[in-house]
Amino acid sequence: MGDVMYDVIIVGAGPAGLGAAVYTSRDRLKTLILEKLMPGGQIANTDRIENYPGIGRIDGPSLIEQMQKQVENFGAEIKTGCEVTSLEKLQDGNIAVYCDKDKSTARTVILAPGSNYRKLDIPGEEEFRSAGAGVSYCGTCDAPFFKGKQVVAVGGGNTAVEETLHLAKFAGKVTMVHRRDEFRAAKVLVEELLEKANGPNSNLIIKYSTVATAIEGQGKVQSIKLKDVKSGREEDYQCDGVFIFIGMEPNTGFLKGFVELTEKGFIKCDCAYLRTSVPGVFVAGDCRIGATMQLVTAVADGVIAAMMLKEYFRDPNWWSEPVSDILQPHGW
Amino acid sequence: MEQGKPVNVSDSDFEAQVVKSEVPVLVDFWAEWCGPCRMAAPVLEKIAQQYQGRLKVCKLNVDEARQTAVKYGIMSIPALHIFKDGTVVGQIAGVTPNFESDLKKKIEPHLE
Repeated sequence: MGDVMYDVIIVGAGPAGLGAAVYTSRDRLKTLILEKLMPGGQIANTDRIENYPGIGRIDGPSLIEQMQKQVENFGAEIKTGCEVTSLEKLQDGNIAVYCDKDKSTARTVILAPGSNYRKLDIPGEEEFRSAGAGVSYCGTCDAPFFKGKQVVAVGGGNTAVEETLHLAKFAGKVTMVHRRDEFRAAKVLVEELLEKANGPNSNLIIKYSTVATAIEGQGKVQSIKLKDVKSGREEDYQCDGVFIFIGMEPNTGFLKGFVELTEKGFIKCDCAYLRTSVPGVFVAGDCRIGATMQLVTAVADGVIAAMMLKEYFRDPNWWSEPVSDILQPHGW
Repeated sequence: MEQGKPVNVSDSDFEAQVVKSEVPVLVDFWAEWCGPCRMAAPVLEKIAQQYQGRLKVCKLNVDEARQTAVKYGIMSIPALHIFKDGTVVGQIAGVTPNFESDLKKKIEPHLE
């Protein structure tokens, strides 16, 4: 990449990073997006998006493909297979971004590395996951391997309900294990779930107020230990696979020592302009404090960062200014 | 063998391409409908190029090559198995957070 100076380097090509790039590249800012895998992030794992305003229903990969085309048409450059390992604030105020030894430099950075599956941290989970022996975090990916089999799905949020409904199309029997006594997922999804569970010859069972405490088996998953949190009673529940849908955690390990993070690894920012602790470095999407972990808000974050970086170009001292009561800052 | 690029394999040529290969082989069990599998693709291309001559990278579509997928007990994709002299000597399931470096750590001990 040599001596090219970018106006902005965006770390991560999920909805937040691509949302930012639509604005920066359309604004003719020289934009580079670094992505460790392919564009998409978590949204590429879903086959059903129906909460993106204006779009009735679309699958994740199609939406991402369109976003990617859009930013590339505006001139943004996307480098895939390029995992950012460290960043450095340079003497001249610019920021160096390293993918191992490969260095790129920009005037500003938008951090949009997203999040990854949260784990239950119970015995057997990692062992069976890493062996590909029956523990999965992606129903869309692995449901077809459990045709006619018995699976347990753990969780109670939107993704958990969607993925469980997907599993029920393949598995012989799905048992959904939820630690609370009611669901916090969107009502429309909960209604669909309950209708399916209460229907005739249903292959879907819901266990409320129940937690998983261990996954067991010889060489592959054969059972899960379930505990009723009200009675304290434990049981060994037979199954061929365990799907875990209990939310996400931020992908920010590589940022330790560069920007300020919370104890749980979220990037600290001002939540209005998305400024981090390092001048010129913005954050967008799932990995910031206060993130709602939604497609729409990730995209919106990207757009906020993309607009606010012009304020920083105008005056670097803006970084330490309080959030303004001027509705339309300079240059819009 | 085509150098430096992933090779598509099927049930019928798995034996010849993978089991009887003279160099270690990294097999990617994948499918069209698997988002993470598609996301992993550029990393596998990069690995095929970087380890050219020392490692062969093969892609096996689990929908088309069912027999082989069943034989190796695939329950989660992408599944990456490292074959040396016909046997599985290492594996990674799913796209891990540091996928490229995790994969390299698994591969390197098995290379000449």
